[in-house]
Amino acid sequence: MEQKIPNKVFKTSPHLRRPNANATRMMRDVTIALLPVIAFAIYRFKMNAVYVLLASILSMVLAEYVFYLVQDLLKEKPFKLKNESFTLYNFSAITSGLIYGLTLPDTTPIWTVVISGAVGMFLAKLIFGGMGQNVFNPAAVARVLVVVNFGSLISYGTDAVDAIGGATALQYTANNLFDAQILNYYSLSNLFTGMGIPGSMGEVSALLILVGAIYLGFRTSFEFRIPLIYVGTVFILASFVALFKGIGMWYPVYHVVSGGLLFGAVYMATDPVTSPITLPGRIYFAFGLGFLTFIIRLFGALPEGVVFSILIMNMFVSSLDYYKWSEQRFTKRAIYIFIGVIITSIIITVVGAYYV
Amino acid sequence: MIKKSRKVRDYKKLTKALPTDRYLNPKSVHIHLQNNRCKTYDLHVKEGDHVKLGQVIGVRHGGFFEQNIHSTISGTIGKTSKKVHRSGRKVDCIEIKNDFKETYHESVVDRTDAQIEKLTQEDMVDILKEKSLVGLGGSGFPTYIKLATKDPIDTVVVNAVECEPYLSSDYRLILEHPERVVKGLQYIMQALDVQKGIIAIKSSKDPLYEVLTQVLKVRFPEMNVKVAKLGNHYPQGWEIEVFRHALNIDIPHGVLPTKYGVIGFNVSTTVGVYDAIKHNLPVTKRHFTLTGDAIKFPQNYRIKVGTPVKDLIEKSEGYKKDIDEMVVVMGGPMMGNATLDDDIIVSKTTTSVIVLENKEYKEEQCVRCGSCVYSCPARIQPQQIMQAYKRKDKEQIEELEAYKCVECGLCAYVCTSKIHVTDYIRKAKKLIG
Repeated sequence: MEQKIPNKVFKTSPHLRRPNANATRMMRDVTIALLPVIAFAIYRFKMNAVYVLLASILSMVLAEYVFYLVQDLLKEKPFKLKNESFTLYNFSAITSGLIYGLTLPDTTPIWTVVISGAVGMFLAKLIFGGMGQNVFNPAAVARVLVVVNFGSLISYGTDAVDAIGGATALQYTANNLFDAQILNYYSLSNLFTGMGIPGSMGEVSALLILVGAIYLGFRTSFEFRIPLIYVGTVFILASFVALFKGIGMWYPVYHVVSGGLLFGAVYMATDPVTSPITLPGRIYFAFGLGFLTFIIRLFGALPEGVVFSILIMNMFVSSLDYYKWSEQRFTKRAIYIFIGVIITSIIITVVGAYYV
Repeated sequence: MIKKSRKVRDYKKLTKALPTDRYLNPKSVHIHLQNNRCKTYDLHVKEGDHVKLGQVIGVRHGGFFEQNIHSTISGTIGKTSKKVHRSGRKVDCIEIKNDFKETYHESVVDRTDAQIEKLTQEDMVDILKEKSLVGLGGSGFPTYIKLATKDPIDTVVVNAVECEPYLSSDYRLILEHPERVVKGLQYIMQALDVQKGIIAIKSSKDPLYEVLTQVLKVRFPEMNVKVAKLGNHYPQGWEIEVFRHALNIDIPHGVLPTKYGVIGFNVSTTVGVYDAIKHNLPVTKRHFTLTGDAIKFPQNYRIKVGTPVKDLIEKSEGYKKDIDEMVVVMGGPMMGNATLDDDIIVSKTTTSVIVLENKEYKEEQCVRCGSCVYSCPARIQPQQIMQAYKRKDKEQIEELEAYKCVECGLCAYVCTSKIHVTDYIRKAKKLIG
């Protein structure tokens, strides 16, 4: 019997690839991890949540689609319904849209959601060259656009108008720092489960965010050290302030569970495209996020600093990755400098807290 | 997927448990006259001459050393032709037609133990030089140069990790001839006057651990040799990684391990040392793996050096039926070279031929997940080097230490977006020269 000999193909090594690894899976995992948060948002805010989320996803996905369509037209390519640069198929645009939608309060007017979403997508992602090239997190940019342009139109249900992103639990602390009275309005257990807390749709329930984080951790679809160090930094800085001011340990815990800290740390700060590429870089990045967030919360006019700190640190990613000082692992010198920076930032915080 | 990932699926099950098939009487063998280190050669024989097993038939000239070429069978010399070498290039090969008599050359005489005990480092170096033993793990570096080191050595490490997926020839070698490995190690230790030896194996290879400890306990109770179980990850077999995990010594790039008092030999090389010292025999046989998901019956073979792989593929009954395209790889699937030619000849340093079904991978945009940076065993940043290469930024490539890359292929293996990162690094290395 004549044997069929397969055609030979030339390739360079390695000839194997890791099974079950692809970028689509990573993005899809983020969407799956968000499902409990979405379910809770719909349960709490009813149809409003559905409308806002739909508007945010559609605006971002369509903005991308139209952008690539126009690009193809300019290059005089034939019209194709399924554009190859379009990232709907790998969940990238959907994930951005979902995260953006979940950072908004349920009463946000739909047209502001749509405009900010589309413009944010364009400014943060598309003009940089699409997926994998963006400097800023598209969801964060869109969120900031809502705050900056339409801040006066957003309100958190029953509470007073709160201009800047975040929960009103933090709004209270912004005016009444270090006052344990706050716990009478919002107990820590309620802040943890998200029941009866006003705030943006996705960030009210710390518990469900942690569920998503654990899922992502097991699927290794995010760098778990970033949220860990981010939240840890806020906790430690708040603990120092609490010790200094002689208030109880409720204060750091309160900082962790309230506002958008957990949501931002788990879903926004860990976006691999807008975080440094080395492990030490990611740890400095997370520390910087924690420090900036706490500083903004403590001294800033804004009650919430997560989104702004993420955007500020996104700017420093290219510096952390600068080839002359990026290292694949920690060197002794880097550790000494980093410890010095940590001590300095603790001193700055405590001294600052004295004058507040 | 954003994680330090050094686990590579190993596929060794295909051949690991099967007994080695002996195929020691090929119709003819082809001996490489050139290799990746030696470009020119002189031939002492001509067509029609009769040669014996172990006879010197020529000499290869390398940059700073010369290698004798030995016949691996007895028979008559045939024509010289171009055949594929393990490095992927076509080189001159001389054919020897087998007379199936296996007559040994006069020089192949066993040494008695008493004789061997008297051998000094210089004597052994001379023997290995005459027998042209090279690193059989694939490096092809002359062993006598390594053995002639003047640095004080305190540990000899035998590298039996075999971390490449699919390969199990070293595994079978130890399982079937453990005493040769230990004897070879003993001779090396004698030559270098070393008291401490380590045989490094993977932690997943428990049978080897049992075999080696048993042999050491029963036959060589006086030797101070430890069997070290190293982690089950890739590239654990890289010499630097072996030293790092077996001895806790971190050897920086570009420094010889002998400066740190350690020296490493591959298992096959150790057995080669045994053959050369004890039997005065050059490397004529080796363990060889023919495997892959496109081969009908993957199998380990014990073969003569110079056997055409075609014979072995026939013995394994060819390729699987439903396969349209395949990649033929010489060496392991992570670092081996693919070839398009049919006449592959097993040289001394060819550990295996792997026939894989061709899979096309769809490359996506790099999402900067960092898996390659986390996993890189050379501790460099593949993703950044790739980006620098795209910009043709030589200064940056140099600053990112691309020259440290050992091309183990792990970066491309772990890549979330299935980008061929290793290829970019290779090009970047070429760019900076």
